[in-house]
Amino acid sequence: MSLDILPQLLINSLIAGSIYALASSGLALTYGLLKILNFAHGHLMMVGVYMFFMFNDWFGYEVIGSAIGCIAVIAFIAYLSLKIFVLPFTRYSYVLSFVTTLALSTIFEAWISMQFGVNVKSLTTGFQVHSIEFMGIFITPIQIIIILSSIALLGCLAFFIHYTPYGRRLRAFSQNEYAAQGIGVSKTNTSYVVFIVGALLAAYAGVMVGYETNMQPTMGNAYTIKAFAAMVLGGLGNVWGTVAGSYLLGLVENLSIGLDFWGYSIPAGYKDAFAFMIILFVLLLRPQGLFNSKSRAA
Amino acid sequence: MEYVIHLAILICIYLILAQAFNLNFGIGYQFNLAHVASYSIGAYTTALLSTELEQGFIVCIIASTLLSALFAVLLGGIATRLKADYFAIGTLAFSFVVSALLINWKSLTRGVLGITGIPRPIIFGRELNENLDFLILIFAFVLLVQVFLYFIFRSPYARSLKAQAEFEHAAMSLAKNAGLVRNLSFLIASGLAGLAGSFFAYYINYIDPSSFSLTEMIFVLTIIVVGKPGSFWGVIAGTVFLVLLPEPLRFIDIPPSILGHMRQLLYALILFSVVWFNKANLFPVQRGV
Repeated sequence: MSLDILPQLLINSLIAGSIYALASSGLALTYGLLKILNFAHGHLMMVGVYMFFMFNDWFGYEVIGSAIGCIAVIAFIAYLSLKIFVLPFTRYSYVLSFVTTLALSTIFEAWISMQFGVNVKSLTTGFQVHSIEFMGIFITPIQIIIILSSIALLGCLAFFIHYTPYGRRLRAFSQNEYAAQGIGVSKTNTSYVVFIVGALLAAYAGVMVGYETNMQPTMGNAYTIKAFAAMVLGGLGNVWGTVAGSYLLGLVENLSIGLDFWGYSIPAGYKDAFAFMIILFVLLLRPQGLFNSKSRAA
Repeated sequence: MEYVIHLAILICIYLILAQAFNLNFGIGYQFNLAHVASYSIGAYTTALLSTELEQGFIVCIIASTLLSALFAVLLGGIATRLKADYFAIGTLAFSFVVSALLINWKSLTRGVLGITGIPRPIIFGRELNENLDFLILIFAFVLLVQVFLYFIFRSPYARSLKAQAEFEHAAMSLAKNAGLVRNLSFLIASGLAGLAGSFFAYYINYIDPSSFSLTEMIFVLTIIVVGKPGSFWGVIAGTVFLVLLPEPLRFIDIPPSILGHMRQLLYALILFSVVWFNKANLFPVQRGV
């Protein structure tokens, strides 16, 4: 086992983990509040990056203008998604919201494919990007931005959850739904705020992916399942567990394909399969997640 | 005429696939997103056996059915211990593991290139190159499968499957082994999905991983939801309706790059609107005490 590339792998897993953390925290928030699995969460991320692309590349706005436009459009889309595709069904069987969010994910994918075409696109910064070498580690400025901004945004999320009235209501709901409703907290209003915050975080992660690598309409499914993997690792509905699970997922993915195990290395194509294997193993061995200690939830 | 036969064969394949899923999802309420993964295992088994090992029709369909069922038992060992959300995530993960293997295990499945040149089955010394002959063969099997499932749907087994779906503890108090009942439905449904996959591989002659994506799963789900979950005749009518529905789109002047997405959009909108209008009685909430 050669360990020369270990620092580079650690940095790569930090980058991947930051993206997953932003993408999956919204899913965990929604699950904690509404107890539904949003199969369209990764697609919201995909719609986010395409909206940014539309403002930036088609309409020719600067980054700030595109960001404002993207935030407005994504907040509106998230509002409509929740109002039409989720909330009318939460009173009935849990299966209904699975079916409707799956339908929503297909609608997003088909719409974006028809509007923008299926081929791979990427966002360009407009200036030449050089990767920086630091003690044998190569890193691009955009990757530094990803790591730092995701930490900053997760800090903002922590502030939102622990120090604002909405966060207090959210925590009350995830602790005991009936008690929270009993003292007059509106589940609907809280869920709108939470869902829109989650969608905006996912859209930000999407834009970062668009800048760092590329984007295509089918990327939604991959990120949905990775967000699920992170959430299963951390325990369903546990936000900070999910964030930790995201970084762990990035670490496992990068180490498993980067290191060679006694002369045998795993082909890079299997990188994505690790997220799914993790889900199956965690569900088999510890279904309540790594960081939840309560008795089996499933 | 050739076109009508083509549609009839497609309907036959989806009748097996959808009716099997109806047992699992419609009666057992198990949101099994790995159904199309079982279908792909069946299709690849047939493709590999008939091209690499040059096995005959009987061997291929039996091997496909058994192998899919075997994987279902492996998955069922994990998944049927889980409930609701966890079950959906677990089966979705399994289906992605299968598709990652199909794409990446190039020495066996040839990756995204797919497997070409799957020969048509030979029955009584006659190679079924004519689509009409193939239709007769598959129709015989569809009849067999539908009669089999018709009796299963009316058996005490289906009643205990429904009972454990609606209220597990009540079913267990009547000495129904809920885990076993769920596992068995998994086994039957996945085995039949493997059979459908086998016929798909024989008919199309060419398979690649893109035929077994989540879109296909959503199509099967739409069939069940449109046909009313748990209803035998409803799902048959739903299959015929939904396979034929996008066909008129062929005759409208739409660029082919958009056509596939139009179909996706159409199915998703139908799925959503059926759920929207039947939300109160589509999947009964668990009955209280």
